[in-house]
Amino acid sequence: MPAPAPAPAPAPRATAVAAVDLAVCDRCGLCLPLCPPAAIHLMLTELVVDAAACTGCRKCIAPCPVGALTMVPA
Amino acid sequence: MRDVDVLVVGAGPAGSVAALEARRAAPELDVVLLERDPAVGRPVRCAEGVGDAGLREFADPDGAPWVARRITRVIFLAPDDTEVRVAEGAVGWILDRTRFDAALADEAARAGAEVLVGTEAAGMARAGDGRWRVRVRDSRGEAIWRARVVIGADGVEGMVGRWAGLDTRVPARDMESCAQDVVRGIAFDPEAIYLQFGRAVAPGGYAWVFPKGVGVANVGLGIVALRANGRTARQYLDAWLARRYPHGERIGGTVGGVIVHPTLARPYGDGVLLAGDAAHMINPLSGAGIVNAMKAGRLAGRTAAAAIRAGDTSAARLAAYHRAWMALLGEDHLRYYRLKQALEGMDDAFFNRLARTVNAIPAERRTLGRIFAHALVRHPQLVPVAARFFV
Repeated sequence: MPAPAPAPAPAPRATAVAAVDLAVCDRCGLCLPLCPPAAIHLMLTELVVDAAACTGCRKCIAPCPVGALTMVPA
Repeated sequence: MRDVDVLVVGAGPAGSVAALEARRAAPELDVVLLERDPAVGRPVRCAEGVGDAGLREFADPDGAPWVARRITRVIFLAPDDTEVRVAEGAVGWILDRTRFDAALADEAARAGAEVLVGTEAAGMARAGDGRWRVRVRDSRGEAIWRARVVIGADGVEGMVGRWAGLDTRVPARDMESCAQDVVRGIAFDPEAIYLQFGRAVAPGGYAWVFPKGVGVANVGLGIVALRANGRTARQYLDAWLARRYPHGERIGGTVGGVIVHPTLARPYGDGVLLAGDAAHMINPLSGAGIVNAMKAGRLAGRTAAAAIRAGDTSAARLAAYHRAWMALLGEDHLRYYRLKQALEGMDDAFFNRLARTVNAIPAERRTLGRIFAHALVRHPQLVPVAARFFV
């Protein structure tokens, strides 16, 4: 079975990565096209940030309409 | 392994029209429409407004069960709350998107497309036989399907394009972060939509009131986060509601992103087409996307069907879809994008003055052309804006 997506190039070690608060997240998916390495995944029932793929660029943080994304220590 | 001719991902307006038109163009094709959510049309992430002429290309709104309100007026509110009425007549409609989307998907099903809800595409890759292998997942598990053409109608959050190696990323300055509540018990003209601009109200976007009924409306706004000093769309909406409708009762709400970026440079590839929000086919000035999505879906469905019949689903052949879209609306969107960029440089005082200039024109003579002509004479700083719009 082919992989779902080409694996992103290994990121330089980020000191902080994005994390989602699922109690606040509305699963709107706005953050997905903002994420350069496609580290955010919208599934049937939840939104997942792949901490291993996140480069810590912060592009997803401010645009979240409800503030569900924050930076946490990697 | 299940074999399909056209796999459409996402049963919004783009996907349903794409599936319908593919079947209409080539009834022998096996067309499947996937919807991740358990029902088509829920949740609604939309202000639900649509222009009259564009809608009528696809469906008759008169007496339709999926219409919430008929709109005959547009009222702009300047940053200082000065009201400006600019249109009277058959402006458009406020839809019930849950019913509207379900009706479109039903039409696709009646044309012979198979509609599967609670089912998502989870990844895809190109195989040596020139077809896509798509991981299709539902609550029971996952299977691999084979598809000749995949149409990604998977919205702002769409991944089909990325899986196909297309660049669908959005720069933060071109993402409108939106929040909207359904509010009851408020006073407004139920045949009008209201739009308010202003840096304190909605930096980089605007706030809206779209009537769902008498005293009930979609009340929302969009902001560009880079201009918002760390406040969220939700916080801007709370502030606007508290100021304009302090006694309104919130009976529902949603959030979401609107991509106000011109159409993707490449919304197609070998055996793949992107349509609607997934291809950034939103009017960058107004944020309108429903009719655009249906028009793109129609082009995509027909292009896919013809390509399969011709035995050539290569990117070179599917590029015709992009050319047709650019001639239809994509070039207009580039002009709207330039106008939006120019307007972003204007401050609130400018819009307050412009509102007064327009209100000095008698209401019955307030056509857009006349508004523009007056605005240019009274506000010479608009000249470069106009120049950028018309080049």
